[in-house]
Amino acid sequence: MNNMEEKLWEYIDGTCSGEERVAIAALIEKDAVWRTAFNNMQAINSEISEMTLDEPSMAFSYKVMEGVRALEASKPLKTSVSKYIIGGIAGFLVLTIVVIITVILADAKQNAGAIATDLNLPNISAVTLSSVIRAFFYFDIMLLLFLADAFLRRKRGNTQVKSV
Amino acid sequence: MQSKLTDIELIQRTLKGDQRAYALLVKTYQRYVFTLALRFTKSREDAEEVAQDSFIKVYKALSSFKQESKFSTWLYTVVYTTAMTSLRKRNTNTVALDDEDNFIQVENSTSVADVNSAENRSRSFYLNQAISQLSADDAAVLTLFYHAEQSLEEIALIMGIETNGVKIKLFRARRRLKETLERNLKHEVKELI
Repeated sequence: MNNMEEKLWEYIDGTCSGEERVAIAALIEKDAVWRTAFNNMQAINSEISEMTLDEPSMAFSYKVMEGVRALEASKPLKTSVSKYIIGGIAGFLVLTIVVIITVILADAKQNAGAIATDLNLPNISAVTLSSVIRAFFYFDIMLLLFLADAFLRRKRGNTQVKSV
Repeated sequence: MQSKLTDIELIQRTLKGDQRAYALLVKTYQRYVFTLALRFTKSREDAEEVAQDSFIKVYKALSSFKQESKFSTWLYTVVYTTAMTSLRKRNTNTVALDDEDNFIQVENSTSVADVNSAENRSRSFYLNQAISQLSADDAAVLTLFYHAEQSLEEIALIMGIETNGVKIKLFRARRRLKETLERNLKHEVKELI
């Protein structure tokens, strides 16, 4: 590699040491050969820097995001379901159980208070028909349908991938 | 969403499931990624494919980004390896990446219709033409250094070589570019005469 060229590029790129920089600057000022070479190289340098970047097609980012969405859709349910959702479901179930037990115990206490000697069991049919229980069953059915749908979609997706 | 969000903030949002944040990252870097891919593939269609693959690979591996380097450096590393793999797959005759004689002429978008005469062609056109005639390696080094604003150390990381090796590659690439430019311009001057 040409020593002058190498030193001049280092000078232009700013990768030389402070001392070298001073020495090269002096050479450019005093020596016509160095000055001409420096001017030529600097012209090339600024021309390359000013070159515009190539543009991809208009639909490029859309296509990338389509790919990303397809990737997300193909993720197994196990990894795509948030931990917060699982925690929420667990919390709801615990809360429902607590509510049912509380209602049963409160009812039992009332019956026990009215007739101390007679052990009346709580009216189970009344409890099971309460709106809380209905909501609980409704939620369970919806969850079951959602999981079944996700399972079938995944199964169909796997079949398609295999056929490709 | 504000446009002032940093790459790291956009990555964090993407990891939380906000795909719009990733779309912003794609928009920010698509021209750099596409240009870099084009330096390898020399064809716009193939470059788009490489660029798309790279962005999807980066999305898949986003959670593994350790922030030890700039996001752009990491992204260009993926583009570089994807482009190299694509080039190797396509070139069944195994063309050396630094072989200047084995270039393929790029489909230059500015080379049609309105720029038929040599007088109308700008200096930028000749530079683009000369870069497209360089080897993939030379063109990639120039693109990373001048357009993608990567330091010599970062380019070394992207290309998996020593910093000194990048320095030498850059010197050679610039010299070859100058020679190619001079050769092309000499040819155009003859054409005019």
